Amino acid sequence: MNSPDQPVRTEQMQVDASAKWPGLALFGSALFWLLLGGTLQLIAAIQLHTPTFLAECAWFTYGRLTPAAQNALVYGWGINAALGFGLWLMARLSATTLRHGGWLLVAIKFWNTGVALGVLGILGGYSTSFELLEMPRFVTLILLVSYAMIGVWAVTTFSIRNTENVFASQWYLFGAAFWFPWLYAIAQLMLLKAPVRGVLQPVVNAWFVHGLYGLWFVPVALAAAYYFLPKILGKPIANYYLAPLAFWWLVIVTALAGGSRLIGAPVPVWIPTLGTVANFLLVVPVVIIGLNLFGTFSGRYSALSGSVTLRFILLSAIAFIFASILNLAFSLRGFVEIAQFTLLSELRDWVVLYACFSSAMFGAAYFILPRLTSGAWRFPTLVKMHLGATLVGVALLTVALGVGGWQQGHLLGSSPVAFGEITQAMTFWFTLRTAGFAVLLFGHLAFVINFVGLLCPLCTCCKKATADVGQGSSAEGHA
Amino acid sequence: MSSQPDKNFQLEQANASDDSIQQTHAQLLQTKPEKKDGYSFLPLGILGLMCAAVFFGSIYLAHNSVRFDPLVYSESAKREKPGAVANVALTRAQLGKRVFATTCIACHQANGLGIPSVYPPLAGSEWALGNEERIIRIVLHGLNGPIEVKGSAYANVMAPLGEVLKDEQIANVISYVRSEWGNAASEVQPELVAKVRAATAARKTYWTAAELQQVGP
Repeated sequence: MNSPDQPVRTEQMQVDASAKWPGLALFGSALFWLLLGGTLQLIAAIQLHTPTFLAECAWFTYGRLTPAAQNALVYGWGINAALGFGLWLMARLSATTLRHGGWLLVAIKFWNTGVALGVLGILGGYSTSFELLEMPRFVTLILLVSYAMIGVWAVTTFSIRNTENVFASQWYLFGAAFWFPWLYAIAQLMLLKAPVRGVLQPVVNAWFVHGLYGLWFVPVALAAAYYFLPKILGKPIANYYLAPLAFWWLVIVTALAGGSRLIGAPVPVWIPTLGTVANFLLVVPVVIIGLNLFGTFSGRYSALSGSVTLRFILLSAIAFIFASILNLAFSLRGFVEIAQFTLLSELRDWVVLYACFSSAMFGAAYFILPRLTSGAWRFPTLVKMHLGATLVGVALLTVALGVGGWQQGHLLGSSPVAFGEITQAMTFWFTLRTAGFAVLLFGHLAFVINFVGLLCPLCTCCKKATADVGQGSSAEGHA
Repeated sequence: MSSQPDKNFQLEQANASDDSIQQTHAQLLQTKPEKKDGYSFLPLGILGLMCAAVFFGSIYLAHNSVRFDPLVYSESAKREKPGAVANVALTRAQLGKRVFATTCIACHQANGLGIPSVYPPLAGSEWALGNEERIIRIVLHGLNGPIEVKGSAYANVMAPLGEVLKDEQIANVISYVRSEWGNAASEVQPELVAKVRAATAARKTYWTAAELQQVGP
């Protein structure tokens, strides 16, 4: 394999060993935020149908809980998990070790301190008024600097790669490593540091929110799908020659699509129109990516029974298509007239953040974590429970937010119905939404217990069994 | 742990090495898919989709961007450039309707007929349609009855509005009264109101009908 002029690939075992502590730190803190964010989200969801719940405590009022939960999930869970997965995959595909992991650990610590201060700041009442930028201003610099210290690892690891060829997952990861700081820095600068004038503020905010979902969470989820499909199925991506076209088309057009969030808003009308057109154009890469992913799946659905990772990736791929359809619907003025400001607009972002991105990260974690620790999941039942809870939760929330949101939109649109009556009529859907979040949180808890079990091999019999499995699979399985 | 089927979940089996994934896919990028007979459908289909998306996108953009004008906030707005259409001039009577609706309507009513034997009518009233200076005086300083309008007697008080309304507003509202409900008298200009206001600056009490009769024809 290694002719003299070819770079020498670092052994995969060595790569995994170098990524062990940064990977575990990132996934560990990600899971902490997933639990915390999920709990806050659940409390906020309960308050929608039981307004008296925790209403006396200022820290737990709805207006603070909702942004705190969203920020914990996006910056705490989302970015930590994406970096944990991304750095590992970048090292794997670059066939080189993650160097100087100690510095990485310091940066991870700073990032999570920043997120903790930010979430506490929101709960304490110091939030700003911009969606997904609610964290108090002093946190911004901590987050940007510590992100730069983590993100630079993806770039340097890529630049010292020992491989001739670059794979699709690397395009998306390399791009995402730059897009997040670009979006975040510009949004902070134009909204909080040197605020632009009135009309431009919602434009910048919509561009940032749309970019964060479309240029950070979606690319990372796609990187996982593009990698794990050939990895586990042992078969190349179908119609791979179209993938570069889809990549460039997706990233360029998504950056223009943010305006579609402002349909009907008091902004110059060409901005939402351009966003709508961008969403039309996105049909092309979505079709290509669909052909890539589902073409690879086709005929091999039987492999799903043996792989949790594959099941999560399939859920993520379906959610990606669904999210794209929702995005397209949300750029049609007739649909927006009904769906805007209802549960449906929550569904649109939640599908990207949870069903598409988080599922992909769960799938990746089930593949990566045993390899990082050379261990095995101690409670296989909990793995199944996590998968089952995710499927049930996703289904419940899709129905609650989709059907409920549609009904809510029609009620809000009919002037004789009073607002209070609409809220009462929505009680069933709000309760279903709470149930969905509760089921998901239960699944996360199962996953966290398994993760902790993986980290501390306490009982010796488990250790022995683990060693057996490790022995059996290390020869051909550890790849 | 013990049951066999669960073993699958222990360590996900990888069926391709990273190296082979990269090499295979790099080759796939360089070699186009083999053509069996004639055209393969997929590249043509994608090309068609690309063209359709660009085509419909362009049409939509042309229809709904309104020339990328930063001042147009609605896609259904008029297509003319701002400033290209001259402002529509409003007559004094049109402007005065608003003043009437806030100040006069309570007594004289929207139909200008007043309330029989309590508040006198303005429609067809000889006081409203007659001498301009006379009606300006009434509005400026008020009127203390009794007064005869259209053959009926009224004994009520009209409050002075000279402190509340500006000259232009008084001119507007009088113009409105003199041209509405079938009335067709001339417009009143603010200059005349200012002249009368200056001439009667010393007046502190309400007018009476007898005093007003002396003003003019």
